Amino acid sequence: MINLPVLDDITKILFVLVLATAALIITIRTLTSLLNIYSIQSWVIAAVAFVLYLKNGSIVLLLLAILTIASKAFLVPFVMRRIQKSMHIKRDLEFRYLTPIGSILVGTAMIFLVYWSFSQFLPELSSETMFFPGAVIGVSLALMGMMVIFTRKQMITKILGYLTMENGVLLFSLFVAELSFIIELLIILDLVMLIVLATVLAFGIDTSIDEFHDKLNSFTLWFKE
Amino acid sequence: MSFIIYALLNTAFVMLISPLFVSLIKKVKAYTQGRQGPPLLQTYYMLLKLLKKERVYSDNTSLIMRITPYINIVCVLVASLCVPVVYIPAQIAGFGSIILFLYLLVFAKFFMALAGLDAGSTFGGMGSSREMTVSAVIEPVIIIVFAALGLLLKTTNLYDMFTTSLNSSLFINPSTLLISLSLFIILIVETARIPVDNPETHLELTMIHEAMILEYSGSDLAMMEMSHAVKQTILMAVFINILIPWGLTSAPNALTVSISAVTFIIKGMVLAVAVGFFESMFAKSRLFRLPNLFMLAFFFSFSTILFELLK
Amino acid sequence: MLLAYIISGLVIMGFMLLRFFAPARRADYLNSLAIAQSAIFLILSIASLIYIPQPSFFFSRYLMIDQLAVYGALISCGIFLLASFYARGYVRRLVELHDIEVRELRLFYAAYNLLLIVVVFAFYCNNLALFWILLELTTILSAVLIVTLNAKENIVAALKYVFTASTAMLFSIIGLIILFALTKQATGVGTLNWDVLMQQAASMSPRLFTFAFVFIFIGFAAKAGIVPFHTWLPQAHAKAPSVISVLLSAVLLNIGIFGVLRLYAVAHQTAAWHDVSLILIGFGVLTIAVAALSMLPRGNVKKLVAFSSIEHMGFLLVGIGLGTPLALFWVLFHILAHALVKTLLFFSAGILHQQYHSNQFEDMKDVFTLQPLAAWGLIVGSMAIIGVPIFPVFLSKLNILTELADYSLPVLFIILLCFLIVAAAFAVILIRTIPQTGEIKHEPYRVSVSMKLPIMFLFAGIVILGVYFPGGLHNMLVGIVNSLGF
Repeated sequence: MINLPVLDDITKILFVLVLATAALIITIRTLTSLLNIYSIQSWVIAAVAFVLYLKNGSIVLLLLAILTIASKAFLVPFVMRRIQKSMHIKRDLEFRYLTPIGSILVGTAMIFLVYWSFSQFLPELSSETMFFPGAVIGVSLALMGMMVIFTRKQMITKILGYLTMENGVLLFSLFVAELSFIIELLIILDLVMLIVLATVLAFGIDTSIDEFHDKLNSFTLWFKE
Repeated sequence: MSFIIYALLNTAFVMLISPLFVSLIKKVKAYTQGRQGPPLLQTYYMLLKLLKKERVYSDNTSLIMRITPYINIVCVLVASLCVPVVYIPAQIAGFGSIILFLYLLVFAKFFMALAGLDAGSTFGGMGSSREMTVSAVIEPVIIIVFAALGLLLKTTNLYDMFTTSLNSSLFINPSTLLISLSLFIILIVETARIPVDNPETHLELTMIHEAMILEYSGSDLAMMEMSHAVKQTILMAVFINILIPWGLTSAPNALTVSISAVTFIIKGMVLAVAVGFFESMFAKSRLFRLPNLFMLAFFFSFSTILFELLK
Repeated sequence: MLLAYIISGLVIMGFMLLRFFAPARRADYLNSLAIAQSAIFLILSIASLIYIPQPSFFFSRYLMIDQLAVYGALISCGIFLLASFYARGYVRRLVELHDIEVRELRLFYAAYNLLLIVVVFAFYCNNLALFWILLELTTILSAVLIVTLNAKENIVAALKYVFTASTAMLFSIIGLIILFALTKQATGVGTLNWDVLMQQAASMSPRLFTFAFVFIFIGFAAKAGIVPFHTWLPQAHAKAPSVISVLLSAVLLNIGIFGVLRLYAVAHQTAAWHDVSLILIGFGVLTIAVAALSMLPRGNVKKLVAFSSIEHMGFLLVGIGLGTPLALFWVLFHILAHALVKTLLFFSAGILHQQYHSNQFEDMKDVFTLQPLAAWGLIVGSMAIIGVPIFPVFLSKLNILTELADYSLPVLFIILLCFLIVAAAFAVILIRTIPQTGEIKHEPYRVSVSMKLPIMFLFAGIVILGVYFPGGLHNMLVGIVNSLGF
């Protein structure tokens, strides 16, 4: 649709913000801040989808942007905050296998790795100008999310790492549009269910079994009916 | 000749507005804490008051203590010549080089650390050692950040950097945004703001910068405070003139210079408010957690380099 | 035809979930519904096999019924039916022991039935993205099933399962997206449907295809339990109630392998075939080796059987990687054989767990006097799983290994060595366990008929299949191999 180079610049600025949020997720320890940063990241990715919609005109992207905001910027943090509030111990401190400095170094190494391996194959794949930076940043975001899963001990942070991975994959998929909307919708629904399940399970690790089974019943049956 | 005019103008301007920014940050912090805070001109009053008071030296101090305030203020003012605030002058040999800029600041910091040790009190020694620890970790990061900046703007001369960003396309360059995140972190560190160091505390556990100037009094203290304020202003100027250079001019005449001065004051005030808010959001970090913050700056500069490659 | 599946599934779920249908003897009622659903689905699958021309497409080519799909669906429905019978007595016992809460039963059976529906539809998928979604759903549902047991280790095991599988599946999506872009570049219209992919495979750039293949493979391999993505498997299979372990081992692992199989069929059409085969064989050998070595120190019967599942999946990968029509024929047969034998093993382990309230071998004293059926089940199952001649696994192993000899002798030696280790592991453990006598005399646990029936059926089935190869099965497998393009 609109084809200004301004849109490309805006996309690049949004990429910068994505990278910033990724770096913060890797290093920050307080759980509530992590959730907020994740919300911001989802907003930014929805903004990227919107800008791409302005550029391409494909309605799927617009719907995807709205869906991302609804599910990832509101629903998921809402669910997670509720679960987190009902956990008896209010936890702010984090335990980790890798220090924050190490995590940042590994994160930068990952970005370079993705850049190097993708630069050999990918530029041929699409005519979209922002495809290559988008692909690199999307996949590196996914890899950094995976790093969060494996190097942190807290379950909520692991779930957040998984959510970040999802965001990275979503960012990557935005540039190869035209995956039919039904598929995208189902994928997002799937992932939301997964998150809720994981959160409920995480809740179950800390509390007594009885409360957990109560919660499990009410949550999952609410979904199935 | 034109350089002398530039030098006088720049230095006078910087010295005049630095205390304003300091009080503005204090005021913002006070508002966020729910109190009124000191009036905006308070720092001016403080400096004037200190200039009139006598200096007292401890018996155990040496020459270092007496010359450090002068070295400090001179180094910082010369460094301020490297950072055009009102207008960008024509090139003059050597000035504007980023290496010169950084090393002048480090030179001043070094003497300040020495002076902290000089009085032989535990506070001073502790402050100096902490300052040197933080410095040892942040200096490589600063070098990388400025290297990324140099790669981005294709020059290591601050005058040329400002000219390039002034002449570049109207919209914010995304790599500049990324590097300005790093520059912001460096601003926080070098001017000893929360979360690195609390500039308003006098508690032994939390002092870094304050500990080193604890022994000073009278006009010495005025000079140290002034040099701190000027250092803050020129670092803010680097940040502002790279990110949002509009208003700055390289063609000096009365109109453009005054526009540039006014816009700089406005931009500086906005940045000071931002710094104030940033300070209010955090608590002072423990010393060994500081490298995490620096790593963020490192990460952003690395990403800038990557972004440049990705283009 | 697919509508029939959906309608019957929905009806049964409705019966299960609506509160006013629940009578007093809840567990049995729910179980009858489960048996009914598995039976209906089995009948529908057989009907699809006989009446529907293959391949046929439904729902705008998102779903298809072809021979491979029906084969998978048949195996799954059969196993589910056997497991439903077994679950009748097993779950009743679990409720008595308060290992499962009564109010959880509805959740358990609802997830159980939903899992069957999702599995069958996963087999009937034509679209890769839909396949991915259904695979994730199976992860979620089976995790819920694992967690209904009243123990904390189950939650840990389920979490590990969910995270490992889903993380790998996210890699899969990256691969799917790359594949999609690849097809869009090659032909102008992007697609993720198997049939279109098979046709367009030749026009895709081989290097890029291998790149996409590796990513997609990571996800499917994690679901199928291939090393190094297998870390969730031993814990999940061991901690789950035995009924669920059966489903995990004999049905869900199959879906991953089917995905890899179809992907390999597409790869076969491209020039990247040899690289892809190499990758598959490499991972397969690694899996067999790691599984074999992990089996030696095991003291837990279900963990032993879980590692045996990993080993067989590795073997299947090797068979697929070989790529000859003969190898693929026997791979398909092996899937069926492995499913049956694994079911027998887990059923026996379940009975033993009910008796001794522990899965450790050293706790199982006086096995023959207390539980002769389960003991025989364990012995026969172990012999069958390592490939002793009367049983069907022998046939498939022999033939695949013969093909492997043509391909590469050193690899054959490594695999034979690993199989020797596996056999030794099983043998040592059984020889040590069976004659154990304990001082305390346990009472024999009365195994209900519903648990004995499936085991007897499996005994018979395994022996028959090992000795007599049904002609119908032969034709069907040959048809599948042909339809895959080999």
